Amino acid sequence: MSAPTTSTPGVTPRIGLTSPHRRRGAWVPPLMAAAVVLLVGGLWEGLVYLGLPLARGQEQLHVGHGPLMVLGFLGTLIGLERAVALGPAWAYTAPIGAAAGGLAVVVNAPNRLGPALVTLGGLALVAIFVAVYRIQASPHTVVLGCGALCWVAAGALWLAGWDVPRFIPWLTGFLVLTITGERLELSRLAGAGRRARRLFVVAAGAFAAGLVISLWADAIGVRVAGAGLCALAAWLARYDIARRTIRTGGITRYMASALLTGYAWLAVGGALWLALGRMHFSDAGTAARGSGYDAMLHSIFLGFVISMIFAHAPVIVPAVLGRPLPFTRLFYLPLALLHATLLLRVVGGDVLGDVSSWRWGGSLNELALVLFLGLAATMVVRARPRPAAGGTRRRAE
Amino acid sequence: MIHREHRTDPARSAAAGDVTGQERPAAVAAAEVDALLHQVIDPEVGVNIVDLGLVYRILVDGPVVQVEMTLTTPGCPLAGYMDDAVRRVLTALPGVEDTRVDIVWDPAWSPAMMTDTAKRQLGWLR
Repeated sequence: MSAPTTSTPGVTPRIGLTSPHRRRGAWVPPLMAAAVVLLVGGLWEGLVYLGLPLARGQEQLHVGHGPLMVLGFLGTLIGLERAVALGPAWAYTAPIGAAAGGLAVVVNAPNRLGPALVTLGGLALVAIFVAVYRIQASPHTVVLGCGALCWVAAGALWLAGWDVPRFIPWLTGFLVLTITGERLELSRLAGAGRRARRLFVVAAGAFAAGLVISLWADAIGVRVAGAGLCALAAWLARYDIARRTIRTGGITRYMASALLTGYAWLAVGGALWLALGRMHFSDAGTAARGSGYDAMLHSIFLGFVISMIFAHAPVIVPAVLGRPLPFTRLFYLPLALLHATLLLRVVGGDVLGDVSSWRWGGSLNELALVLFLGLAATMVVRARPRPAAGGTRRRAE
Repeated sequence: MIHREHRTDPARSAAAGDVTGQERPAAVAAAEVDALLHQVIDPEVGVNIVDLGLVYRILVDGPVVQVEMTLTTPGCPLAGYMDDAVRRVLTALPGVEDTRVDIVWDPAWSPAMMTDTAKRQLGWLR
């Protein structure tokens, strides 16, 4: 028997999207598994860079540690969450491109296949935001779209054979604009008005201008982008809703904690970009010779970005998997470990030049990530699958 | 303001009889649905979806509940989470056999749709 439908005269026409009925459940696990493989590959090479006595991966994987982590691993996750939210099959080109491209790097596929596939994934993410904008035009969607364009730019520069440090600003642009675009949207709930939006445009505009300038004058571009990052951090500290929600409890307070500590690291990263300018990298395996570069990157990618991932995973994972991930206060453990060990790495290692602090800090950063993923996976597995909702069950009949 | 609609279909109510012979509640009250939706919290902001102004319409048609709601922005990654949470609370309501959550974008959500309770929680009002 089919369920009685509730077609009601006079109901507003619906613009379809976004419902678990449109989740492509069979597509999610392989993509999540691919993300884990990319993460393992990226973390392994991270340990090699830290000077641990491990076998170094093949050249493409070793050199590609940064883009693999940002465009491969995070690109898969961000592309997946956006594809699930929008719904249509074509949107999954974003995570599939990121995952396939990342895997091509891991297995050392020839002919720059990895960067090409990753760039394709970025183009699909741009298309997703175009589709979202057509549903409802808004400034924050434009910012998110610009973040996706940074992914495409970084992928194209990688494909063109640029050295990774030269296109690091674009990798950063992808993540920073993706995250701040979301925060701009949520700032409306905190009462941010027109003045706040204008200030955001100034800050994000300075950051974006720095990215463009860095194509021709890397030191000047990085400094300008750094000023933009500092301005964005100040904007988040002033207008983000986490300032209010930190006074609540449970998962909301946890998320706010992760967000606010992440903003502090964004400010640190911006200040370093502004002060140091050019990104110099020496693969010497010591803090003394690569300290500025290490701090410039990881204050943002670990301190800011991974903290955002820790903040949102308890709600994004259920949205993507369709399975609950019950919140537990244990999530504070990997969060605290991440920030404490990043302090050790940046202050003890990069600033004071103590190689042991740098190596321990970096290794424990990775442990924090693994601990968080393990905890999240455990909570998902332990949560009893809830009975199918009546609607879903009946529709399947 | 949420539009609540209650439709009664005697034929459907009769068809909803339990095979065990037990009587079921004839229909679910829209007010009960509304109260349950107050339990669905947006985890990011700690405020329920009704006070956030995300729920546009509740339609109760015998044992079938339809919720028409929006999100603060299209393509929001939280969409699946919200949809699941709404279904979960409504499925727990005695008499509900089917739930349907429709996410719509017209009218677009704006902060003006929040209730004073939400604004107070978020620091707009003292």
